[in-house]
Amino acid sequence: MTRRSEVGEAISQPRLSGRGRVALAALVAFGLLPIYWLTATAFTNRSDVFAVHRPLIPLNPTIDNFVAFFQNTALLQDLANSFVVSTGTALLSVFVGGLMAYSLSKFRYSGRNALMLMFLIGQLIPGALLLVSLYLILGSVGLLYTYTGLILSFTTFTLPLTVFLLKGIMDALPDDILEAAKVDGLSRISTIFRIVFPLVVPGLIAAGMFAFMRGWSDLLFALTLAGPDKQTLPAGLTQAFIHEGTADWPGLMAASLITSIPLAIIFVLLQRFFVSGLAAGAVKG
Amino acid sequence: MQSSVLDETVVDPVPLVPLPESNGRGRRSKISAGDRRFGFMLALPAILLFLVISLFPLVSGIFTSLFKQSLLRPGRTFVGLENYGNIVGEFFDRLGTTLIFSISATILPVIIGVALALLLNSRMRGRNVIRGLMMLPWLLPGVVVAFLWSWIFNGNYGVINYLLNMVGAPSTDILGSPLGAMAAVVIAKTWNSFPWIMVVVLAALQTLPTEQLEAAALDGATRQQRFRFISFPHIIGPVALVAMLEFIYNFGNFDTIFVMTGGGPGDSTTTLAVDLYNLAFGSYDLGAASAMGVLWLILLGIISSGYLILNRRLETR
Repeated sequence: MTRRSEVGEAISQPRLSGRGRVALAALVAFGLLPIYWLTATAFTNRSDVFAVHRPLIPLNPTIDNFVAFFQNTALLQDLANSFVVSTGTALLSVFVGGLMAYSLSKFRYSGRNALMLMFLIGQLIPGALLLVSLYLILGSVGLLYTYTGLILSFTTFTLPLTVFLLKGIMDALPDDILEAAKVDGLSRISTIFRIVFPLVVPGLIAAGMFAFMRGWSDLLFALTLAGPDKQTLPAGLTQAFIHEGTADWPGLMAASLITSIPLAIIFVLLQRFFVSGLAAGAVKG
Repeated sequence: MQSSVLDETVVDPVPLVPLPESNGRGRRSKISAGDRRFGFMLALPAILLFLVISLFPLVSGIFTSLFKQSLLRPGRTFVGLENYGNIVGEFFDRLGTTLIFSISATILPVIIGVALALLLNSRMRGRNVIRGLMMLPWLLPGVVVAFLWSWIFNGNYGVINYLLNMVGAPSTDILGSPLGAMAAVVIAKTWNSFPWIMVVVLAALQTLPTEQLEAAALDGATRQQRFRFISFPHIIGPVALVAMLEFIYNFGNFDTIFVMTGGGPGDSTTTLAVDLYNLAFGSYDLGAASAMGVLWLILLGIISSGYLILNRRLETR
């Protein structure tokens, strides 16, 4: 048996040839050198970046660029806004999407397939198509330039995502558990909050983090629907560092790293889930 | 509906969360009419939210497209199809640019993603570390990716020009030329997307029919033949699906292009999304922007049907 599977592995996962190694090295370089350059620039002195014969490694590494970020009150406000809006988006999407996912997964009613189709298409609608109408609608109900308005606009793309992610997870819940809850006399509402949601907590957290990441990364709505006081970091970055064509590149790279760190932390926490979640097509590329 | 795709591509034998065993179809339903009503009630908040923030904006966009309306002043006047007459030529111009961008930025990451997955499917030390690190470009927010590549391609101090100068070549302002700018945004988007495709293909490769491969090897099939007739048919479905999704997402891409080129130089990288933004928030012409959106929506309907049909076919396979 062991021998057999070893042979199988040797065939399905062959060793790399010399040419294969070169190709792999080239692709890994393409993937990672820009990350190196992002990091190296962030630790470089502002004046060194413009030197003609500068070294490709920061010889006098500095944390000034990071310090400058945390001394910039506008950017700190953007950072706080990012946390508020992304968290709000995640909570709203997971709660509403969780109920929807449970409904789609465990109940059968007419129109159910149409609803699934609706959310599947919802995943494909680009933000630009909603932009003008959302601007007008949020304006007419007084939610333009508010956290609530921005959270609602982010939910246009995070809700379909959480619905499908959570439906996949709830499909795996055995119906017997729900039957047992019924037999034990638990009400249908209590079943949700005392049986179903607690059983899928890891899934709820994962879906919430996906929604958080998507909200955190959005630029279009942050730029147009948030206004200067409520805008999130991506919108802030486009304004803080570029003036008349010249830019403070080390400062911008440091701020970019800071913007990326929360997502890196989430990635590490969710690494296993990412593989299947990505494969489900549930996450934008 | 998507769970069948998920089934095929589960990689980790111990996932953080339980993965679906079936997509629920054909399961005997023991649910009463009251439960059905309750089930629908649970769906209501999501349905209402979706109607208010997605469906209603799409429909009201159709109305806005029939009016002359400014972003800066309240009030609007009905102009019929005038907006459409004004923007239809522009629409097809932008559509061409959008297609060039979204097709290139789909093909390139698919090639790189598939190649990397096949290479990383070999036995080697440090394989998982490489896989993890190669996810980083996907992880970064779109604006960060765009700023990073703007800096790399920068005409004066960019590292590409630095390297060119080292070998004696003159500096070029890559983002300043129409072709260079398009190539630059495609490369940036490719770098951002290939990890996603790599992961999907790696996942599909985990479920390769090992016994079939062994039998083929015993029967004397070469490595190329085994790939051609066993591995390739096994991964082509998931690859087609992500390629389609990638194309749809690229079609609506805003952040990469807006940050790197702002649609320029000239109109050379002005895609539909950037143009729609410019019409609404640069020219303050909400009617024209909405008309652009409606034409785009019709197109999206056609493209999405393609995706849905592909999705359905892979599901029933």
